[in-house]
Amino acid sequence: MQKLVVIGAGMASGRALEHLFDTQPGEWDVTLFNAEPRGNYNRIMLSPVLSGEKSYAEIVTHDEDWYAAQGVHCRFGEKVVAIDRAAKTVTGENGTVAYDKLLIATGSNPFIIPLPGHQLPGVVAYRDLEDTNVMIEASAIPGAHAVVIGGGLLGLEAAAGLRLRGMEVTVLHIATHLMERQLDAAAGFLLQKDLERRGINCILQANTKQITGDGKVEAVELADGTVLPASLVVMAVGIRPNVQLAKEAGLAVGKAIHVDDQMVTSDADILAVGECVEHQGAIFGLVAPLYDQAKVVAATLRGEEATFVQKQLSTKLKVTGCDLFSAGDFAEGPNREDIVFRDPARGVYKRLVIEGEKLVGAVFYGDTADSNWFFGQIRDGADISANRDTLIFGPAFQGGAPVDPMAAVAALPPEAEICGCNGVCKGAIVDAIKGGAVDLGAVRATTKASASCGTCTGLVEQVLASTLGGAFERNAPQPMCKCTDLTHEDVRRLIKSQELKSMPAVWQAGAWKTPDGCHSCRPALNFYLLADWPLEYTDDLQSRFINERKHANIQKDGTFSVMPRMWGGITTPDELRAIADAADKFKVPTVKVTGGQRIDLLGVKGEDLPAIWADLNAAGMVSGHAYSKGLRTVKTCVGTDHCRFGTQDSTGLGIALEKALWGSWTPHKVKLAVSGCPRNCAEATCKDVGVICVDSGYQIGVAGAAGMDVKETERLADVKTEEEVLDYTMAFIQLYRENAKYLDRPYKWVAKVGLDWVKEQVLDAGIRAQLVERFQISQSVYQKDPWAEHVKERAEQYVPVADLTKFAAE
Amino acid sequence: MDVTLDPQARTFIEVSEVWVPRDGVLVHAQGNYGDREAFAAVSGRESFALGEGLPGRAWAEGKPVVLKEFDGSYFKRTEAAKEAGLTSAVAIPVFDGKTLKAVLVVLCSDDTERTGAIELWAETDGLMMLSDGYYGAAKHFEWVSQHTHFPRGQGLPGGVWSARTPILMRDLGSGYRFIRADSAGKAGLTTGLGLPVPSPVGETFVLTLLSARGTPLARRFEIWDSRAAKVGTTGGAVLIDGICARDGRLWDEDNPRTAKAWEGPIGTVLGSGLPLVMGGNPALTAGYASMVALPIHLDGEHAFTVAWYC
Repeated sequence: MQKLVVIGAGMASGRALEHLFDTQPGEWDVTLFNAEPRGNYNRIMLSPVLSGEKSYAEIVTHDEDWYAAQGVHCRFGEKVVAIDRAAKTVTGENGTVAYDKLLIATGSNPFIIPLPGHQLPGVVAYRDLEDTNVMIEASAIPGAHAVVIGGGLLGLEAAAGLRLRGMEVTVLHIATHLMERQLDAAAGFLLQKDLERRGINCILQANTKQITGDGKVEAVELADGTVLPASLVVMAVGIRPNVQLAKEAGLAVGKAIHVDDQMVTSDADILAVGECVEHQGAIFGLVAPLYDQAKVVAATLRGEEATFVQKQLSTKLKVTGCDLFSAGDFAEGPNREDIVFRDPARGVYKRLVIEGEKLVGAVFYGDTADSNWFFGQIRDGADISANRDTLIFGPAFQGGAPVDPMAAVAALPPEAEICGCNGVCKGAIVDAIKGGAVDLGAVRATTKASASCGTCTGLVEQVLASTLGGAFERNAPQPMCKCTDLTHEDVRRLIKSQELKSMPAVWQAGAWKTPDGCHSCRPALNFYLLADWPLEYTDDLQSRFINERKHANIQKDGTFSVMPRMWGGITTPDELRAIADAADKFKVPTVKVTGGQRIDLLGVKGEDLPAIWADLNAAGMVSGHAYSKGLRTVKTCVGTDHCRFGTQDSTGLGIALEKALWGSWTPHKVKLAVSGCPRNCAEATCKDVGVICVDSGYQIGVAGAAGMDVKETERLADVKTEEEVLDYTMAFIQLYRENAKYLDRPYKWVAKVGLDWVKEQVLDAGIRAQLVERFQISQSVYQKDPWAEHVKERAEQYVPVADLTKFAAE
Repeated sequence: MDVTLDPQARTFIEVSEVWVPRDGVLVHAQGNYGDREAFAAVSGRESFALGEGLPGRAWAEGKPVVLKEFDGSYFKRTEAAKEAGLTSAVAIPVFDGKTLKAVLVVLCSDDTERTGAIELWAETDGLMMLSDGYYGAAKHFEWVSQHTHFPRGQGLPGGVWSARTPILMRDLGSGYRFIRADSAGKAGLTTGLGLPVPSPVGETFVLTLLSARGTPLARRFEIWDSRAAKVGTTGGAVLIDGICARDGRLWDEDNPRTAKAWEGPIGTVLGSGLPLVMGGNPALTAGYASMVALPIHLDGEHAFTVAWYC
């Protein structure tokens, strides 16, 4: 009988022993060491034990009877201290045993981030039954707080378990979405929402600074100063192969113990299996490859030929009620195509990634039916060209349910507001339709929905369609882009009524057909979100056009133009000197006076941008936003200070307007002018907002144009004071920001909604005050000089980058 | 295993019966009465209009109804029940959207030793609060439950509420320590089955069945998932959790048990969408004397089936 010594009674070695005993019963004299005081149990089922949904007894794989029946000499709770390869012995804490073959299965150790305070009692890893029991103990205190560091598979299972046990739980995750290794942003978003519905607080991009406490854990402090109370801190940030013993024995070790395809180490009589091995540069953390390795180990010990081959892996999260599946590779790539299915009503997101004729990745959330079949397609590299169009519906597709473009609206609850102007909810519209209002006009007449600004027309039509089914005919509105069937106006309404505050939330609620939008919808969504939720939404730089990312205008030769702001067209000798110095220093080939009353430096190299901005900033100048969908210039004439005809201080008003409005993002560029008298030297009557000063006060015109279209402004109001001009202008701009379609100039937007409706809003003192307040809240976030910010924080961005695929195209 | 097998002990629930709507009233469809033949005969002749008797009340209220005293109540079979030693009952309506599919009624015998709990939790102001419950002799646990609430995700009621999934919890005595554990432990409560109860009245309800060591509510529990999101459009169900006093764990992560419509007792529930009560044929009920299977219809589909055997 051959002597086999096994170090480590985990799942991998346990499975290897099963195979060995099944095929060669009675031929091996096995001694099994385990540092834990127990035998093999299903470690990956510790999460439901933590949550109380399983008992430890249920997850025991090999009990005492099994080991006794196989004649295994169990040395549990005994650490191995040395391997003597020459003598072929293993020495444990309680003595030495000889081997013919040795199997090392020492597994891995959890990685503990060496934060200040990481050694305090109450900081635990999540690895074994002891850790689990410590967590269960900690949860026994009513109202206790836990912080889980790590939003990966294990961390989230720990969080869900602790929550079910009654703890207040916060998950800290360093990435921008949960489980970023296994999920894309869209699925990560849904998972986060799901966990938040369970009362679990998730903080993303969290940078933990320290763990604090007096003799035991009391709080976790983040780099941004946030302090989270905690009597338990769970570190679930990864594992490290446990290779110390192998290293000391002189075996070849890299990231882990080197093994060949037969799972043999650098010593022919020593095999290794599980999380402690490195095979062809890869290490392993999921159970499926470990079981494949175990089969090979058993075959090798039997003297049979077998080869371990690495395969694609799949992931499921063991949180009751979270249906999640991920397999293969779902990173974007030049030759890859996505097939996306979303069902907002059911919270379903399914994405298949296809490369050539093969399925290479899949991410499912909310519907994991047929996930094994999809995994098989990935693993086998099956040719899917024949059923490409219906692949997303799975193997049982028989004509299948097509993607329902009405799904987003059908999913809205009856109380969801459809018409913001008149406060009409979906239920009222449905009632009207059921009462006989079967077309748009009748719904308008009955409910007043879509009877004011009209931006909800598309939504009202969709409610008609979803209520009446085939009985409703409508003019098909132009969808926002190929990613969705919704119009811009629909999307804006959804963002407001559903309080959608992130792009993944919009993609899901709007049943986007792509995983993360496209170059067309992303800039629009980014604007809509920052305009509606300035405090909650974080501007997404990657969703901006290149000019807005670089804060300069790219020219046809790849260089940039740089234009500092000149408030109301007024400058000083010092500013002019600074501009001249910058032009000299950076060898600017062209210096141009623009129609907007400022000076443009043309031909600046991309990598010089931070430096030239720094110089201009030092001279007190800020960006002129000549590149942005935002306020460009406020053109003025000289006004009463110098002009014989001037009726008011047009220059002063222009400067005040520019100082109030600069930095605000708008659906398209916005240009203003203030003319000191009706002679209109500042050409105010063809601007987005144009003010004509007259003896009695100010005439405010809006919706002019002087580009592809030429159009005179229309009179919004006549007012008496500069303060009123500022208020009316801010209110108009805010109304435009909140309602217009992205890339509609104000004149196009006003033509759609009607000047009368605009006047109703802006001329109403109460509404105007609210619009001004919301504009100022937005300005509190966005009125910042991007040059100064970028010079300080992101200068490295301006060196040439290699990968531009993540950015929205120009 | 935390499910205690004590073949000598009488179980917490003595009688189970199913009432289905027909021609505007609830008529008797199935029942497992053991040796209570007289009560079975009376029940077989009975029917209930909307709001009438216990089943009719559950139908009208659109939620489970707990009746702890028959005397002086709307219970129609009081005399027969008293003669059969039955003193309390819980009626659980099974709705599919706004349509009533059936009413499952379970009846219990009260005595000073019989312990267990059938609780109805309802969402109130963002918390799960006890709406009603029957506890047998577990009076202290009843008092604790009445003074307890569960936020989303916490405990069995909060967990079921947020996951919208039946949950089977083990070892309530040690695992429920954060709030009711001492009392649960003293009451000998071991296993807890929580299930969402869809209601047409627009409120959120969770029903919990808590089993005790001495007088188990059941000796085997199963949760079957038949959502299209889990099993696809071909139907059937997979066992997502289950424990048995005799067979131990019933779940298997890698090779879960499956059921097909109209095959076996669970398949009958899948096919009909109605509760099933069986007794007297251990070959069909996993070797136990009786079983009850309760379907849960969510979002327009037969989503889950929970079954208990004793």
